[in-house]
Amino acid sequence: MLNDVRYFGVIVALLVAIILFIHANDDSAINVISTDPYKLIYPAYFGNRITIPEDNPTTRQGVYLGRMLFYETKLSSTNKISCATCHQQKFAFSDNHPFSTGVGKNSTSRNSMSLANLLWVRSFFWDGRTKSLEEQVTVPLTHPDEMGESLENVAHKLQRMKEYPPLFKATFGTKKITGDRIVKALSQFERTLISSNAPYDKYLRGDYRPTKEELHGLELFMTNPVPRDGIRGGNCGFCHGTPKLLMELFHNNGLDTVPKDIGREKLTGLPADRGRFRVATLRNIAVTSPYMHDGRFNTLEEVLDHYNEHIQQSPSLSQFLQNKSNEPGGKRLRLTTKEKEDIILFLKMLTDSTFLTTPAFADPHITASNDHLKTINDHHE
Amino acid sequence: MNNFLPGDRSKFFLSGLLFAIINLSSFWLTAQVLQKPSVRVDGEVRTCLILYADDLLKMKRTDLMFKDFSGLEYRYSGVALTDILKQAGVSTTKLQGEDLAKYLLAKSADGSEIVISFAELDPNLTDQTIILADQMNGKPLAPGTGPFRIVAPKDKERTRWIWEVNGLTVRYARE
Repeated sequence: MLNDVRYFGVIVALLVAIILFIHANDDSAINVISTDPYKLIYPAYFGNRITIPEDNPTTRQGVYLGRMLFYETKLSSTNKISCATCHQQKFAFSDNHPFSTGVGKNSTSRNSMSLANLLWVRSFFWDGRTKSLEEQVTVPLTHPDEMGESLENVAHKLQRMKEYPPLFKATFGTKKITGDRIVKALSQFERTLISSNAPYDKYLRGDYRPTKEELHGLELFMTNPVPRDGIRGGNCGFCHGTPKLLMELFHNNGLDTVPKDIGREKLTGLPADRGRFRVATLRNIAVTSPYMHDGRFNTLEEVLDHYNEHIQQSPSLSQFLQNKSNEPGGKRLRLTTKEKEDIILFLKMLTDSTFLTTPAFADPHITASNDHLKTINDHHE
Repeated sequence: MNNFLPGDRSKFFLSGLLFAIINLSSFWLTAQVLQKPSVRVDGEVRTCLILYADDLLKMKRTDLMFKDFSGLEYRYSGVALTDILKQAGVSTTKLQGEDLAKYLLAKSADGSEIVISFAELDPNLTDQTIILADQMNGKPLAPGTGPFRIVAPKDKERTRWIWEVNGLTVRYARE
């Protein structure tokens, strides 16, 4: 009996020693790693109001890992869907469906958003419910109608794959894969998705000469109509203006008198927020159809017709869409067909073919050679 | 401090029930209050404030008179930003030194933001009083343009007169 107890004691002591040994070598230890900062390049006119959390600086290693993960189907519960399924580069990182299908039976409740220039976004989703990209990333990964997988499971799956542990080591100092690290790397990659090389940017830099129609469209886009002074305008710039064509605004844009999806009201409980959604970026708008939070419009022509002729009144309709007209005392915008066409020509100036095709944002699982991985590993072994 | 004797279960039960009721009712009250528009005053202040319509009515009131195109007078009333900031423990008078690098960021529920530099609030530097208005001609502001609106009387255009104000944040300018 006494022997048994001693034997047991020795085993316990050994186990403790083993556990201590593992912990001494595991990832909770502080590691000083050398990572190379990723240089985020953007035009000065975009402004420096960007957000990069202090605990997740953008590094070359992190961005590459994030890109691998963005295209990794193991992130979903069925191992069939990656972020890129609903955020395809050729569609400016959106898809071409009103709603997207994930791993579940139900499709998503809102249209997949384009991921461009997120560096300047301060609250994410159609309703602005999260304040950081890191918080945002977690939602589609775990949502049952999207990728439907827990971060723990994803970490577990990736830990057993050959290519990931070294990439995590290069980025975070150890091979340990955690949900937090996955989210951080994905966010780093998404911060690099900068679209600033459209013909409109080239025009702003003096490298592109727009046609007469494009210039007319631009002028109408940026102008508010004042019929008594003979000023015609499309009234778009107030919400979509600035050279970034992106402002952090939320408006009810008159889609419905009684909205099926109450938008931001769900978040704030304020009736004034009923049917209010993010004012979407217009960068690459010609390739991100269908449009609106529910993807109800298939073409830019339909969108222009909506703003021109079909704004629906409701108590929370944006003040900026009320009684704006090119006719004195008019209730509708009343642009001519030609004016609408020219505005669309301007919108097409926002298609950034570099953004849509650059290999830097493309699926690295196709292009990555073992050599590339080896370079990264060698650098940090 | 524990006032209960061991074994006195009915007291435990009653206190538990009372605790639950208080918690539930406070949750209910919070849920109710959250659905009323409010203005949060925060940033580099001594005391963060959350002001509801009733709170503004109890503070020192400031009226501003305007004339419309036809010459008809109308009145905006509310609380001077200087007085709101004073309540949050921030002085905007006799500014000196680094206080001249401070600004107020006013935010609207639609996401709009505007900057008012502290120098625009100091009565020693300016002769305008910028207010957070909650009434026009003695009545609450119309839906969509209220319930709280920045009124900066000397601005030539009213682009800074944002409505649905829900936040006032004090910051130092940084490069």
